[in-house]
Amino acid sequence: MRDRGELYPLKILVAGGFGVGKTTFVRSMSEIPPLLTEQAMTAASVGVDDTVAVPDKTTTTVAMDFGRITVDESLILYLFGTPGQSRFWFMWDELARGSVGAVVLVDLRRVDECFPAIDYFEDRRIPYVIGVNRFPGSDAHSEADVRDALALAPETPVLWMDAREADSSLRSLVALVEHALSRTAVAG
Amino acid sequence: MRDGTADDQAPRRGGRVVPVYAVTGGRTRSAGKELPVEALVTVTHSGRHAADLQLEYRTILGLAAAPVSLVEIGAALQVPVGVARVLVGDLADAGYVAVHLPQVGGDGAPGPEILERLLEGLRARSG
Repeated sequence: MRDRGELYPLKILVAGGFGVGKTTFVRSMSEIPPLLTEQAMTAASVGVDDTVAVPDKTTTTVAMDFGRITVDESLILYLFGTPGQSRFWFMWDELARGSVGAVVLVDLRRVDECFPAIDYFEDRRIPYVIGVNRFPGSDAHSEADVRDALALAPETPVLWMDAREADSSLRSLVALVEHALSRTAVAG
Repeated sequence: MRDGTADDQAPRRGGRVVPVYAVTGGRTRSAGKELPVEALVTVTHSGRHAADLQLEYRTILGLAAAPVSLVEIGAALQVPVGVARVLVGDLADAGYVAVHLPQVGGDGAPGPEILERLLEGLRARSG
C-alpha cells in the first residue's frame, strides 16, 4: 500500500529555438515513450496567435513534448520541451513555476534564437544552463566566444553536448541541478 | 477514440469523438486547487473499489495504480491538461485518488534538500 507514501514531482524545462534539439533531448532521457501534451490556449493568447475569438475561452491547443525520469522511489522528474516562440510564453509561466530550472539549448549557427529563452529565465531568476548542441562547426567556437555572444553571467554554466546521447543530456541536467543548488546556498 | 473527425467541436489535432467539455460537464476548472502539470496522482484504497464510474475516471484510476502525473494522464486520455485537471479534481474530491504536490520553498523553487536528492539520483544514473 503506497497510499501514504511520500512522492515528490519535479520538473525541468528544455528550452531553445526551433529545431535546436529539444525534442531529441527529452526523448533521449525519457523512460516513457514520446508523449505529447496539449495545452489549451486561453483568450489571453488569442491576440498573438491570430486565432478567431470565440465565446468559449479555450480556442485552440498546442502540443508539447514531455518525458519522465523516475529518480528514486519517491522522486519523479519531468522534462518539458518548451516551444521557443514568444507566443507560447503563456505556457512557460505555468511550466516554469516551481521548476528546478532550465536547459537552454543553443545552435551556434543561430544563436539569436535562444535569446528569448535566456531573457525569460534571467528576468524570473530561474536557474539555467546553456547546452551547446553539437551541430556542424560548433566545436570551432571557444567557451569565451559563446559567453560573449550570449552575454552570459560568469556563473552561468556552459556545456557542449549531444542531445542524441542520454549520457550527454544527463550531464547537462546534473550541471543544472548543481547550479540551482549553488544558488540556493547563496540565497540562504 | 482515436482519429476524431475534423469537425470535432473542440478544435484540436487528432483527437476524440466526444467534445472534451462533455466529459467534464462543461467545466474547465475544478473547485479550489489549480494543480500543476507535474502533480502526481495515486489511487487510494477506496478508489480501487470504486464502481459505476464513467470511462475517463476508470482510466485514470487504472493509470494511478502507479504514480502518474497530470500531464501523463492528459496524454493518455488524449485531452488537454486542463481537462485532466478537472477529472483528477473530481476523483480527489471523491477520495478516490491522492494528489502529491511539488515541495517548494518560499521563493517558489524546490528546496536544497530535494535538489540534493535529485542530484544524487541523477549522478547515480551516469555510467
